[in-house]
Amino acid sequence: MKITRILLTVLMCALVWLSVTSCFFNSSPVYINTKNTRNIHMIVKMNKGDYWNTVKLGAEAAAKEFNVKLTFKAPDSESMIDEQVAMVEDSISQHADAIILAASSYMGLAQVVDQAAYSKIPVVSVDAEVGSAKVRAYVGSNGYEAGQKSAERLITLLNGTGEIGILNFTSASLNEQQVSGSIDYGARDADEREKGFLNYAARYPNIDVVQISYTSSNTTEAEALTRQMLENHPGLRGIATLNETASQGAGKVIQSQGLDNIIKMVAFDSSPSMLELLQNGTVQATVIQNPFSNGYLAVKYAVEAVQGMEVPERVDTGTKLIDLDNMLYPENQKLLFPFVR
Amino acid sequence: MNKSKADFFPLRPQPGQRGRMRLSAKLRSIQLIITLSFTTVAVLVAVIVGFMLYNKFAKTAEENANLNMQQIIEQVNYNLELYVKGMGNIFDTAEKQITTSASIDSPLLNERMDTLMSSREDLVSVAVFTPQGQYVVGTPGQQMRLNTQLQSQSWFTSAQKSPDISYSAPHIQNLFKGKYTWVVSISKMIQYKQDGELKSGILLIDFNFRTIDQLSRQVKLGKRGYAYILDPLGNIVYHPQQQLIYAGLKYENVEPVLEYAYRSYLDESTGEKRFITVRTVEETGWKIVGVAYYDEIVTTKRDLNQFLIWFLAVVILCVIAVSVFLSWLIAGPIRKLERTVKLVGEGDLNTPINVSGAYEVEQLSRRFNLMLQRIRQLMDQIIYEQETKRKGELEVLQSQINPHFLYNTLNSVVRLAERGKNDEVITMIQSLSKFFRISLSKGNNIITVQEELDHIRHYLVIQSFRFKNKFRFEIKAQDEVLQLQTIKLILQPIVENALYHGIEMSPDEGLVLITAELQQDLIVIKVSDNGIGMSKEILNTLLSGGVKSGKTGGGSGVGVRNVNERISLYYGREFGLTFESELEEGTIVTIVFPALSSSPVEKGGEES
Repeated sequence: MKITRILLTVLMCALVWLSVTSCFFNSSPVYINTKNTRNIHMIVKMNKGDYWNTVKLGAEAAAKEFNVKLTFKAPDSESMIDEQVAMVEDSISQHADAIILAASSYMGLAQVVDQAAYSKIPVVSVDAEVGSAKVRAYVGSNGYEAGQKSAERLITLLNGTGEIGILNFTSASLNEQQVSGSIDYGARDADEREKGFLNYAARYPNIDVVQISYTSSNTTEAEALTRQMLENHPGLRGIATLNETASQGAGKVIQSQGLDNIIKMVAFDSSPSMLELLQNGTVQATVIQNPFSNGYLAVKYAVEAVQGMEVPERVDTGTKLIDLDNMLYPENQKLLFPFVR
Repeated sequence: MNKSKADFFPLRPQPGQRGRMRLSAKLRSIQLIITLSFTTVAVLVAVIVGFMLYNKFAKTAEENANLNMQQIIEQVNYNLELYVKGMGNIFDTAEKQITTSASIDSPLLNERMDTLMSSREDLVSVAVFTPQGQYVVGTPGQQMRLNTQLQSQSWFTSAQKSPDISYSAPHIQNLFKGKYTWVVSISKMIQYKQDGELKSGILLIDFNFRTIDQLSRQVKLGKRGYAYILDPLGNIVYHPQQQLIYAGLKYENVEPVLEYAYRSYLDESTGEKRFITVRTVEETGWKIVGVAYYDEIVTTKRDLNQFLIWFLAVVILCVIAVSVFLSWLIAGPIRKLERTVKLVGEGDLNTPINVSGAYEVEQLSRRFNLMLQRIRQLMDQIIYEQETKRKGELEVLQSQINPHFLYNTLNSVVRLAERGKNDEVITMIQSLSKFFRISLSKGNNIITVQEELDHIRHYLVIQSFRFKNKFRFEIKAQDEVLQLQTIKLILQPIVENALYHGIEMSPDEGLVLITAELQQDLIVIKVSDNGIGMSKEILNTLLSGGVKSGKTGGGSGVGVRNVNERISLYYGREFGLTFESELEEGTIVTIVFPALSSSPVEKGGEES
């Protein structure tokens, strides 16, 4: 009897409690929890270049928004795969909450990414994919599509005939110690772009891709390669460059040699110097990505992954072909020129 | 156990019924009723008051927050207006210098422009263009780029369209070599002199976002709140996350903002409640929009909420505790009382009731105790009376066939027969037979007064033979009395006493006088004798049983006391015998009892 009474009282209390609390509490929407500071390491291909700066800007914007302590690391050059691997290993040993990686080599970093996943550190790859199934999300553009856009425009500019040279970056052929294997040691984005370009160009019988050179993302080297290409192929009518440094190098050579009207060039990415060349007419078009979005979204999804939220496997931030006509469209201005204070 | 009890007390509520009533009875218990109603009322009041307070406070807090935000935005708006005016002033200054200058390419003007440029950090470039888009003059040292497409840029077209100063949306400055910067352009068609000729041209001044950024950055609307600036067309001039918006990663719902120049409202388009406050900068038509997150604005509300919940919880717990205690205080003694009374009801009359508690309950228990005492007394009395009655009746039963009396009488008859007094023997035997018939009277306890008088007459006849005419007797009765009722054998012990103790000792001839009359519904029978009488002491002890008169002689064995008790038990305490006696003079015994008609004669059967 006593027990029943106590039980009844407790039940009554609980009911009253429930009815009272239900009046006041509303269910709150799901946010990214910004109470705890997350330690996120971002490792990109190299520590110079406007492209990576913009990626960093985006990442920093997200870091500020989601209370992330962002550690930004990059080797001096895109070809320094071992350094990049070491950086990832460092991050693992420092128990980063998440790692964002723009892999310089598709296979070269696969193993270390698996290792990170083994240490329960989510990995988000940005810009360039890495050959690991453990990657939680990929944020970047579709390289194949970008290559095709570049090819389409260059071929149009050439009216479908002529010799074309391609200036690409980090590839297996450059790294001598890995030449032997059939494994793809190049950067995934470089390969994809090249593949897209070549596949598109293959439809035009009169288009002849006469040379593909690879630079390790060094403007001077790119300039040298361009000069060499121009020497080797005096009949060269078009140049496609597939990343920022290559574009800058090639652009410089064309401008300095006064080949503006002879050689058509489709560049890649939107560094200010590139845009200047575009406005000058040295370069006819450029394929741009969304480095700011890439950086921002990579950090955002990394935070979500740390929190165990569902993250999309692939996020395509898109590519766009910019030429002199559309570069001042308001929406393109916004993409081309980061709003930096 | 129960079964036997049920057998004994069939009218008492039996325990079997209780099980059925248990739940509903429990629901109706005082304690539960008090607890429930008290708690309900208190909780209801607390909740209502809490809710009202909450609403009131929350509303005030919300209004305050809203007002506060509006003030902040107002302040920013004011600062921004000042800044825009400042920009206008700079523009006017530049315009004046250009128009008043004798020639557009004079070194003086060039110098002035340089000064103007260096005076402000947020000035990016100053330039004059011909309406055809040709560069005329500008900040010294700047070189035009190729392919600027300036004729299609908004600052150029709007300057051609309208004579007023026009402010452009943010755009990239692509005219001059150097960095590409985001600027806001102010432009207007002006007049200038070149080579002594008055020409019209477009003056362009570009401002960067430094000051606007500074102004807007000051805005702190909670932790996440912010302010942004829209131009009249809905382009975002400034936003703390401008690049995110430009990159399409964030959106701002600007449509409801554009419709009003001055407005505050609650926006839920992002799924989150946000307070939006809109103010418009007069000069440019720019709208400054403050965004504050509802849940941050109303932190006070949430605090209040939490506080109220705890407060309510504590109040409710207290109320429940108090009401349980209070109801226990009231219902506890009552329940104890009930349990005790139940024990009493079950037959234990000796249960003491000592319930302490509320005054009423104590009184109740005290009264109940008194009642119980009285019941106990009455019970004892009843038991005593029943016992006495039974004893008396047994004695009467015995006296009906008193062997001693029979033996004496038969001896007398034998003696008379020996002497050959046949007539007297016959009278004697007749009287004896009638005496016994009335004595037995078919077992009835109640007989008529007539029969009782006949009975005593036969007795006196028999005794007069035995006492050899030592006394005379006389019986007088009113006719009305004769058919009334009486219990039987009430006269015989008295007369016997009179004979054996009064007349037998007396030397004189005795006289026994018996009268029966009706006095105001009472039957009064008097037995008087002229015997030796009694002393006061004996008289006093007569009814208390000190003298057992029947034992002394050949009495019937039924004492005078027995008669008295029988009468008072049957008719009531106030009826019975009274004695008057004086030594050497005689004794009068008066019997008084109510007159009852003889029709319900059968009642006597019940009594035996």
